[in-house]
Amino acid sequence: MSSAKKHEHYNCADIEALAQRYVDGQLNDYENRLFEEHLEYCLPCDKKIQFELKLKEIVHIKGREMIPDEKLKLKLKNLFTDLL
Amino acid sequence: MAKEKDNSFTKLVEPHLNSLYSTALRMTHNLHDAEDLVQDTLYKAFRSINQFQQNTNFRAWIFRIMVNTFITAYRKAVKQPMKISYDDMEEFYLYKRLDETVSLQETSKEEFLENIFDDDIKNALESLPYQFRLVVLLCDVEGFSYNEIAEIVDAPLGTIMSRLYRGRKLLQRYLWKYAKERGYIKDEFSQKT
Repeated sequence: MSSAKKHEHYNCADIEALAQRYVDGQLNDYENRLFEEHLEYCLPCDKKIQFELKLKEIVHIKGREMIPDEKLKLKLKNLFTDLL
Repeated sequence: MAKEKDNSFTKLVEPHLNSLYSTALRMTHNLHDAEDLVQDTLYKAFRSINQFQQNTNFRAWIFRIMVNTFITAYRKAVKQPMKISYDDMEEFYLYKRLDETVSLQETSKEEFLENIFDDDIKNALESLPYQFRLVVLLCDVEGFSYNEIAEIVDAPLGTIMSRLYRGRKLLQRYLWKYAKERGYIKDEFSQKT
């Protein structure tokens, strides 16, 4: 990954290598700038990255579970009062 | 004094109850064990609250307790990581499969994602080997940073990134499989499964 830094511009292989960190917002400012600069002129890479971002969003929304009822929420909230 | 401790603990914990419960459910696969895991976590956190340093990351701290509790309690029950073929671990796996799918040309790939059932996402997550599942849940569902996950799971950053990479690729493979089983994908694929 660090070899990507040597380029003034990222190529498609750099994008593939850095995709995960970009999607997770873990690139530094310099890497981020070069990454997005590549996406501006490379439609195939841009489409792939937009897809990965969307998939992450879908997993975030659909993978989450809410506590099914208020009773359990209250039980969990008050559970340590038994210790006092 | 004790009441004061109780109140401040409630205030700290309450915003994270759903996150803890959601992660516990995905890790244990059932409501009863998830409830037990959250309860054990809260007890342990309450007892060791003095070790929590004020103004540090409470969310990561309590998740770490839950992960440790899970691993200790379920170590025997958790199956050894199954042998997984990493042949199809290419980047953009799902995107590329969809791109090759003639019957999907009319629909956009984003539309495909939006139409995935909640249950398919949940099943795919729960089918991941637990080390991969944990990091995918912490990153994608709970939104923790790599550094926070490394702290919660107590593993080096490189290990976290590698588990995340593999976990996501497997997840994409499961989603592709479900899409075919549900008949979203009508093409015949002889090689890519």
